[in-house]
Amino acid sequence: MPGPFACFIWFLGFLCEVAVLVCAFKKQAIRRYFLLNLYVAGLIASDIGRYRILTEHGFSSKQYQYFYYYSDAVLTLFLYFALSTLYTHVFSELKAEKYVKLGTILLLAGTALFTYSVVVQSSAKLVTQFVVELSQNLYFVGLVLTYVLWAAILKLRETRTRLIQLVLSLGVYFSLFAANYAIRNLYPSLSSVFVPLVQVFATFLPLAWAYAFWRLPEEARLAPSRLAVIPR
Amino acid sequence: MSRKLVVVLFVMVVLVAAMGLRTMVTAHGDGSVMMAAGSAPAPPTPYKAGSAPAPPTPYRAGSAPAPPTPY
Repeated sequence: MPGPFACFIWFLGFLCEVAVLVCAFKKQAIRRYFLLNLYVAGLIASDIGRYRILTEHGFSSKQYQYFYYYSDAVLTLFLYFALSTLYTHVFSELKAEKYVKLGTILLLAGTALFTYSVVVQSSAKLVTQFVVELSQNLYFVGLVLTYVLWAAILKLRETRTRLIQLVLSLGVYFSLFAANYAIRNLYPSLSSVFVPLVQVFATFLPLAWAYAFWRLPEEARLAPSRLAVIPR
Repeated sequence: MSRKLVVVLFVMVVLVAAMGLRTMVTAHGDGSVMMAAGSAPAPPTPYKAGSAPAPPTPYRAGSAPAPPTPY
């Protein structure tokens, strides 16, 4: 069984995930951001499943390992499609929904093909390794896609505050993980500090999304600086 | 048609960037999982238990330089 700190962070993360759904429901944002909410619902379901398996079979058991990584892969796919809906929102005025869908499918197929071509060289536990590697590769694809989306938001002068908050929090979330991993490998002696941080970072995304749904109404807009009155 | 080509190009650029970034970040990695959805404690991956360094392959004993193949 993991230590009390890990269990506390896990519980805190679970509460944040529930808060996202409650806030989205209260602010009537379930349908508008359906895939985002589906991802959060998946997080809640996987947390419950993981907890049950952990208490029944233990942390080091094969059951927990397999359930953890297979559920993680499914959740990554949900997050990937949720990110594609954010693209649809940002490009809604350009009527580019068809192209976003095409890009989403092509990129997923390309990532799966690349992962398979790497994994196929090791014959042991091919399916499991493919699932875990696909999940990790999709995280990096998500990271790049989020930055591209942020660039598009800046270029298109997007002003919808809630949408910006959702995209930015995704960018920070991905970046925190990548930076943590890079630092961990640069300074292996600090692993005892940076490894538990992974769990803490995981609570950031639901917390930021709950804030976005609760505090920022759909109509909220950022005041563009170019419209500021300049005294003469 | 050209828009579809732009989508294909975009997909290829993103894929190359993402895999390049991953290779860069995990170049000196220990094989552990970098990211995970949810805040549950992550177990070691099922296909590589633990993060201990891999031992040398058993079919090449010692660290003497390998001679050229006899054929």
